[in-house]
Amino acid sequence: MILALTIVELWQSSWPAGLIMLGLGGGFALVLLIASIKLKVEVDPKIEQVHQVLPGLDCGACGFAGCSQYAKAVSENPELIGKCAPGGAETADKIATVLNLQISESGAPKRPIIHCRAHTSDRTYYGDYKGIPSCTAANALANVQACKFGCLGLGDCTRACKFDALHVVDGLATVDYEKCTGCGACARTCPRHLIEMVPFTYEHMMTVACRNRETGKVTRSMCKVGCIGCGLCAKQSELFSVEENLARIDYENYAPGEQTDAAMNKCPTGVIIYVGKNAPPPREKKARTASAKKDSLNKQ
Amino acid sequence: MDTLTTLLLGFISIVIINNLVLTKFLGICPYLGVSGRIDMAFGMGLAVTFVVTLSGTLTWLIDHLILMNPSLAYLHLEVTRYVCFILVIAGAVQLVEMYIRKFFPSLYESFGIFLPLITTNCAILGLCLFINLWGIDSFPQAVVLSFGAGIGFTMAICIMAGIRENLTFADVPESLQGAPITLITAGLLTLAFMGFAGMIKG
Repeated sequence: MILALTIVELWQSSWPAGLIMLGLGGGFALVLLIASIKLKVEVDPKIEQVHQVLPGLDCGACGFAGCSQYAKAVSENPELIGKCAPGGAETADKIATVLNLQISESGAPKRPIIHCRAHTSDRTYYGDYKGIPSCTAANALANVQACKFGCLGLGDCTRACKFDALHVVDGLATVDYEKCTGCGACARTCPRHLIEMVPFTYEHMMTVACRNRETGKVTRSMCKVGCIGCGLCAKQSELFSVEENLARIDYENYAPGEQTDAAMNKCPTGVIIYVGKNAPPPREKKARTASAKKDSLNKQ
Repeated sequence: MDTLTTLLLGFISIVIINNLVLTKFLGICPYLGVSGRIDMAFGMGLAVTFVVTLSGTLTWLIDHLILMNPSLAYLHLEVTRYVCFILVIAGAVQLVEMYIRKFFPSLYESFGIFLPLITTNCAILGLCLFINLWGIDSFPQAVVLSFGAGIGFTMAICIMAGIRENLTFADVPESLQGAPITLITAGLLTLAFMGFAGMIKG
């Protein structure tokens, strides 16, 4: 009875307050509703999507004020991907999906191709480089290695990669295509511009793994696996063209077939190789030259 | 005193003598948090000025027309004063946020989380309650006081930002670098402004 009385009293004394709050709240809701329509800001839907896959902790570990700032920054500059510490690799993957990083304009995922295939034993060195262990620093020296175009193997790209997908193996940067997300950070960091982002229309792609524009003789003198610009590949397949003593592949019309395989096999230095997931291993070095000669000699 | 003099004195009083930040110690968090760069401090000051003017005016109106209306006195509506004020402030902040986002995107970016935090800026709620406490019963005076409070906040935060920008080049002892020297600066600034106390007589 007493309880019922107090409830009635409570109601009688509190309904005006409730009504006021309701009225004020409703009024402000109306004003804000009109304002939100009138002052609507068109936000890039991608930024919204990226924001949604972020953890939403606003922790600032990425170096930005909060998740929304990071979402904006990473949408504009995909190189910032992988800075989200709480989200880790999973979030980075999701952001990559949202931003279509793997997809080029033609719909194929973009992946880096390294235009060099010379390991330490293939190169010619004038001396030991003992300077700052960075490609950018080494690149400033004229004679750090004989080839002015080849991989320096000091790992600037490895440090740029946030996905542990690039490693220097025996003096040559090598992409782990299983881990690569195609963010392109390596391509931007390489001081010799050896890394090209190529739309992978197939699981593995053929590439001319060299950037050397010296004449064939000079190239031969400094690298065992450089492109000498002989043009044998261009004679086999229209996909290949030779400019400035260097064979190139037209990736826009890329279609592997018998002709391209023939071009690969004709290549005297074996610089045309497959890269990518499950890529066929490159032909044994000098298989066509030295050992083939030896075989023919043995037969005789 | 005629009305104009009252308004003018009220304005000077709230800006310099009864400055909410420097003498009432309200709104310290943005005062120390956003005073790193002078342009951002100025932007923050303007946003707070807008919010405090709007909410001060609105709350005075609500207070006098509804909550403290003598014909409604039997309903004891003044108990809802705090909640109503917070509601008004939150609504005004939302409005400002939308406006800044639309017309000053770069300012919106640099504010980040501090913009929604104006809602909980105690200087604003403080001003709304002070207007009541001081028994301000004319509408123009309430508007001038609200606006003056915002200007006072802007002035305080801009002075602080200016000093802090120069502090970067000062030879501060290692143990005092960062937050300690900022707090010392704030204290000295407050001391200086305390000197204005008693400037307006009568």
